[in-house]
Order: sequence, then C-alpha cells, then structure tokens
Amino acid sequence: MSEQVHNRLAVVRAERKVSRQALAEAVGVHYQTIGYIERGQYNPSLDLALKVARYFRLPVEALFSLEPFQPLTDEVYGRKQ
Amino acid sequence: MTATRYDRRMYAVMNDRRAAAMYATAGRRRLIVGAHAALTAVGVTALVGTVFGSAPTALAVAVAALFPWVLLTGMLNGSTRGLLELRGRMLDERQLVERDRVRALAHRITLWLLVAAAFGAGAYSVMTDAPLRAEVTPVLVAVLAAHWMMPLWVASLRVQDEPGDGDDEFGDSSAA
Repeated sequence: MSEQVHNRLAVVRAERKVSRQALAEAVGVHYQTIGYIERGQYNPSLDLALKVARYFRLPVEALFSLEPFQPLTDEVYGRKQ
Repeated sequence: MTATRYDRRMYAVMNDRRAAAMYATAGRRRLIVGAHAALTAVGVTALVGTVFGSAPTALAVAVAALFPWVLLTGMLNGSTRGLLELRGRMLDERQLVERDRVRALAHRITLWLLVAAAFGAGAYSVMTDAPLRAEVTPVLVAVLAAHWMMPLWVASLRVQDEPGDGDDEFGDSSAA
C-alpha cells in the first residue's frame, strides 16, 4: 500500500508562472500527469520528483513531503494568532 | 527506444482535443460507454445472425451499427488519450501504471462474465435438457466481444475530469 505524498507543486508552479504543459514537456510526461500529481491522485516516482525539483532548482523536499505542508505564508511570516 | 513516425502520428491523433467537449465530463463518458456497449451488443448479435439467422438483414444491421461504433470507439480512445492504443514508449509513468490497473480490472470483470456465461449455459442445459450446440457460439462471441472491449470501457470510466481554464492560468490551453 503506497503512502500519500504531499506536494506544493501547484503553488510553486503558480509562483513561477509555469504552465502544466511547459512543466510536463520539461520533465517528459503528459501534461495531465502534472494535474494528477498536484491533486494528490498520483505519487510521482523518485526519478520524476527529482526531475521536477531540478526544473524549479529546488531541493526535492521543498516540493514533496510525507507530511502535509504548512501554507507558505505561515512558513515565511508565522501564523498570526 | 525512440518514437517512430507512426508513434508520433498516433500520439497526435489520440491527443487531438477538437472533440474533447463531447467526452469532457464523467456523465458524458458514462453515456458514451453505455452507447458503445449497446452498439457492440447490436453488432455482435447481427454478426452472429449472419451465420444462424437471416443473413441479408443481419448484415445490414451490422453495417449500419459499424459507423457509429467506430465514431464512439474514437471518442473513448480520445477520452483516455490513447491509453490502450499507444505503444508503451509513448506513455509516461502514470499512464503505464493506469494501463496496468485498467487491464487488471477489466480482466477481473471478464473473468466473472466468463463464470456467469459458463454457469448460465450449464444451468440452461440442465434445466431444459437441450443440447448447447446452438447457444455456445453466440455466448462465446458475446464474451469475446466483452473481453475485447472491456479495457476500453473501464479505462474511459476511470478517466478523471480535467480542471477548467481557471485552474491553470499560464497559457495551458490544452488542459481545457
């Protein structure tokens, strides 16, 4: 049984203004696969996860995690009480 | 292994989005699968009828059913982006996993169809004391058609709706 891998691919892709199509072509997958990963419907292989991380020049753990991600604003500014 | 011209052509055909609106939602895909299954049943019945019944009438029905059947088959293949038609080298890792799942599920369904057909035919024979010679061929042809088409039906029913334009505002028009 595979574990859910959380990702913040959609957030990073939006921040960098990269389309699913462009990312898919860069990492060699169908553009639908990017959508499946973003929606948590498919866990990418290590190979694909590393390719995506390399594309964004980020460490793979910045994009994929076994634990749910905190919102980026919480990480940067801390949660306001 | 590098893609051949045939691979690239088939990939383009299977990913042609001109008719995508016709199978964009799960409801429409279910409707197409239902219509395709019904047309397959009509076609198979007509083809069996050419052997066991009135050949000219049955042949006319089979030919009439062929064109819409081909059209619907194309739609189903388009909805799956050629999951079952493209060679493995033209599919990515998710599609290869999905293709394996589809085939496994279709295999399980056709196994139960075969079990039902075998028990049904046996029970019919026992209850009516009739020899099965006349029924065996139609039942076999029907199960063969189901075995042939089941992966396509299963694959199309498992397709997820794609997000709308608003979900990808960075020029990803093909995702619509």
